[in-house]
Amino acid sequence: MTSSTATNTQTPAQAMSYTLAYAIAVFFVVSAYATGNLDNFVQMVGLAPVLESWALKDYTELLAFILIVLLGSTVALLGGTTSIIMAVGTVGSFFALTLNQHPLIQYLTLAAVLFSIGLYGMVVSRNAVRVLMSIELMLNAVNINLVAFARYVDPVQVKGQLFAIFVITVAAAEAAVGLAIVLSIYRNTSTVDMERFNLLKW
Amino acid sequence: MRNGAEILKLGTLTLVWWCIIFGAVWAACYIVGILIPMALSSYESDAARMTAETCRALTPILSVLVFIPINAMFMVLFERRGLAIFTVRLGPNRVGPDGYLQTAADAVKLLFKEDITPRGADAFMFTLAPIVFFAPSIFGAMPLLAAVTNYHELFQIVNLPTGIFFILAASSVPVVGIVMGGWASNNKYSLVGGLRSAAQAISYEIPLVLSLVTVCLMAGTLDVVQIAKQQAGGILNWNIFGGGALRGLDTALALKFSNQPPALQELSQKSFDQVLKSSYVEPTMQAIGLGAGQEGLAGIIAAFAVVILIGSILIAYGLYMTGACAEINRIPFDLPEAESELVSGYNTEYSGIKFAIFFLAEFTNLFIVASIAAVMFLGGGDCPVPAWLGTMLGGPVIESMINQALTPLIQIKLVDPPTLFAAIWVILKVYGIVFFAVLIRGTLPRFRIDQLMDFGWKRLIPLSLIVFVLVVFAREFVNVHVGS
Amino acid sequence: MDQFEMLKAWAETNVETTMFYILATLAIPLAYGVILDKTIIRSGFILIGVFGSICGLFLLLQAQFLALAQLMIYAVGITLVIVIALMLTNPRMEKSQLSNATPANQLGAFMVAVGLFMTIYLSVRPENWTLSSEPLDVNNVEVLGRALTTDYSLPFEFASVLLLAALIGSIMLAKAEKPPKPGEDDYEYSVVEDGPISDDARHDREPAASKR
Repeated sequence: MTSSTATNTQTPAQAMSYTLAYAIAVFFVVSAYATGNLDNFVQMVGLAPVLESWALKDYTELLAFILIVLLGSTVALLGGTTSIIMAVGTVGSFFALTLNQHPLIQYLTLAAVLFSIGLYGMVVSRNAVRVLMSIELMLNAVNINLVAFARYVDPVQVKGQLFAIFVITVAAAEAAVGLAIVLSIYRNTSTVDMERFNLLKW
Repeated sequence: MRNGAEILKLGTLTLVWWCIIFGAVWAACYIVGILIPMALSSYESDAARMTAETCRALTPILSVLVFIPINAMFMVLFERRGLAIFTVRLGPNRVGPDGYLQTAADAVKLLFKEDITPRGADAFMFTLAPIVFFAPSIFGAMPLLAAVTNYHELFQIVNLPTGIFFILAASSVPVVGIVMGGWASNNKYSLVGGLRSAAQAISYEIPLVLSLVTVCLMAGTLDVVQIAKQQAGGILNWNIFGGGALRGLDTALALKFSNQPPALQELSQKSFDQVLKSSYVEPTMQAIGLGAGQEGLAGIIAAFAVVILIGSILIAYGLYMTGACAEINRIPFDLPEAESELVSGYNTEYSGIKFAIFFLAEFTNLFIVASIAAVMFLGGGDCPVPAWLGTMLGGPVIESMINQALTPLIQIKLVDPPTLFAAIWVILKVYGIVFFAVLIRGTLPRFRIDQLMDFGWKRLIPLSLIVFVLVVFAREFVNVHVGS
Repeated sequence: MDQFEMLKAWAETNVETTMFYILATLAIPLAYGVILDKTIIRSGFILIGVFGSICGLFLLLQAQFLALAQLMIYAVGITLVIVIALMLTNPRMEKSQLSNATPANQLGAFMVAVGLFMTIYLSVRPENWTLSSEPLDVNNVEVLGRALTTDYSLPFEFASVLLLAALIGSIMLAKAEKPPKPGEDDYEYSVVEDGPISDDARHDREPAASKR
């Protein structure tokens, strides 16, 4: 399940403690960013000129994000529970990336997060129905984008909401046809494993 | 009447329980919504103001929370006694005076039963299922509460511009709870019950929604308070009779029969025709573009359109009741919990408080479905007697007498007469529909699953689409509630 | 008095943000649950949670109609169909019937997902959005209905044609062509599966129609 081979030697309690430690670390990073301590830290260490030279002066949140990702991959290699680490890291970096932003950017970032999760699930899953579920997730992320634009950019004509209605319609049709295809394939091959859907291989 | 005495007993039981239910709700609303803020208004501190505001804001949800358990107890007893009458039995009559407390005893028993989670069940989902089944009915009741209390300020805050759509969305969620419970129970019968329920609920939601959409088409709004308001003024204005198509007739009759001095009788006779003409013939002439001198043709078309409208809405009402019966899994659509086939389906494995919640939610859903019918089709809190007839029969006199008798109570805001009368009518209508549901339960056998699907997809859905299209065309020729 | 007004002002500015973060913290782990939970049917139910919290986000964005349509069509309609399909294709309720992707593939997918997210974020963040400060009418159902039946009536009609095609197509695809072999008893379910699948498509039409 996990990407590290070390997991096999870990007991569940150890994996859990690593994960917990990671969650606490993420919490500290996010709160340091939110209270402005991260900025002070950057100044103190002398990273500020470096960031400025990369035109990243106002992007301290990226630093927090990178910190969280690095911590996460370290803990995952050490043998934490990967799925929980991913979830905690995503929530933490989502907080870090959006706390001081305009609401529109908050919504767009949330949509991007959900879209990326959907993409990851679509690529990783073997079960055809779960792939469909991931696609639904991605379509919903798009809907969040559209509705957020309708609220903050075009509140008079709410065209974003109109497009969201069409997206919902198409998603319903897509789900119906997709599931029907999965069912008919299952009837013929008795499996829903994407790896074995290779009838048209050559 | 062989069992007249039993019917009388059922009547008294109903009255006693109504007094208990609505007395409790009334007391709770009064104490939290009016008494506490009034007591706090003498203090000038922020905390007091905030508490008062919070209390007022919480009144609607509190009233629903008080109402639901007591009402479910009453409805179970009502159903058992009603069924007993239809099958010429006695029904529960041992606990308390003449069995009045039977369901209260049942509730106590259920609460003290051991709460078992079967082996191999998904414990989290197993616990979540009753909550998912029950919680939406509380939310669904909110806009209805605003609609039936006749613009009482305390309950206006729960109104929404998308009222009826909100109610429909909330009432479509419980099926998730059924499927969840059926799957999490790790039991074949439960799973089959859950799957049947899903298939049935999704299929029968279409005629249900389409029939309500037909009503919204007449009303021109989704707001339930608006819809209830449009139907004020007697049975001829109710949506079930053409959604305002008879409003012109109502006005004309009011003119004709209002108490006028004899000298003006001639005039009112004249205006009767004029009103009829202006409210039926002229819209039709405008709609088709007929010139002067073709009033006769226009009148015939208008009469035809009115008949079609009334017929369509009556069919829509039948469709709604059928779809609602299926949506809440009552006989003849109770396949998900068919006792004789599936040993009560999705709730086979449930016991104790979780089963109690399932049970509670089932009867609450029945009540909500009946209130939707009362608000959307039967005029909400409106008196069925047309206003002019009421005036002729001395309605205002009776009303003022009641008002005078209640003056001390009105002064301390314990009674709000418009709300009181609206509430009485709503209670009569809603429990009338509930009684009808009990009658159906005592009468009809259960469908088979394939018959159920055939009936839903091949009969009800085409019929509801036809009704919808008919109404779309017919309302062009008649003034309905839209815009008025 | 001052304190009360201050509290009210704070609530007006911050309740929306707080609610947003609560819903976001609910939605993200649930989304991970959908793609990572070992019991696939449970992940189907978790999907309902994701859609529910997205419905809450729509309510925050004052899109009442869409929020309710989301609840009715996605959270109940589509997800129930998905759950039923899961139950039909996984009849023995196995915990993990399928092999997982190899770690290398997982890592690659993860990198792609993170890269995509960073691309979106870095393009969204510095953009100067032409924000409109006009308040959004809470009762915007009417605006939507008017637009759907006037400016967007052609896409609306196409959507209905699409739904009809999807309805017929999914019934044809899911229909069992031949009587089942002995031992294969999914024939009795075929009655069930026709209903909900085709139904969804239907589901979308009423909200649209109700806006007239």
